[in-house]
Amino acid sequence: MRQPGTYSGILTANMAGRMGPHSLPLARIKKIMKKSSDDVKMISGEAPIVFSKACELFIEELTRRSWMMTMQGKRRTLHKDDVASAVVATDLFDFLVNLVDESSTTTTTTTTNDTEITEK
Amino acid sequence: MAEAPTSPAGGSHDSGGEQSPRSGVREQDRYLPIANISRIMKKALPPNGKIAKDAKDTVQECVSEFISFITSEASDKCQKEKRKTINGDDLLWAMATLGFEDYIEPLKAYLLRYRELEGDTKGSARAGDGPARRDAVGTLPGQNAQLAHQGSMTYVNPQAQGQHMIVHSMQGNQ
Repeated sequence: MRQPGTYSGILTANMAGRMGPHSLPLARIKKIMKKSSDDVKMISGEAPIVFSKACELFIEELTRRSWMMTMQGKRRTLHKDDVASAVVATDLFDFLVNLVDESSTTTTTTTTNDTEITEK
Repeated sequence: MAEAPTSPAGGSHDSGGEQSPRSGVREQDRYLPIANISRIMKKALPPNGKIAKDAKDTVQECVSEFISFITSEASDKCQKEKRKTINGDDLLWAMATLGFEDYIEPLKAYLLRYRELEGDTKGSARAGDGPARRDAVGTLPGQNAQLAHQGSMTYVNPQAQGQHMIVHSMQGNQ
């Protein structure tokens, strides 16, 4: 029998070491970057590092603005609708309007392959 | 069809899901880990604030959209300038263009600190000759994570960085 505990332990330690001061995994960021357009060919080593911090700032801002909506409703739990309201209320988040619209109206999984998968 | 070529050897034995795991469309390729997102979200809330799972999922999707949004703009710029590699400055430019100019200063500070640390680590690795030295380097990321958190609120304190380096080199000498 394999012992997943040992394996995952090593993995976690490795990841923590590699991530260092960054709170988000750089390899994953890079993957998402590559998916955003077919034109994205090469990405400098610094780019995912910039994103690791930028995403942190973005998540914090989105969460703070969503929490304001939660508080307006005199609630203590932040829900999806609060995020949607925050997106609609903030010009900066205009690019997310379709995303939160979709997810709030259609509950079924409508995962469209908007990125082409080319098998190499 | 159920036998996806990319499924890991140690994976679960039941493959009876509707969405067969195909390479490229897996969740872990499209999104950042929910645990990391959740941790960052909690930082932005008061201690008594709670977050529903559906809110985390939505933010997770939003972050990927954010990355794509910025990357596409940066990629366009690179194409116009006939460059093949998207670098950090392209991303900063794209963020400023798309309304995220408030992020630029903290990001520049973050990048600067990263570059200093990289140079520092490389320098000591070149001069280093023992495992003790490597240990000293190994302790850095943790300390720096704390600095990074403070950095998101206030600007980098150059003195803190200075002290940091002194401590580091002292450890190295012993």
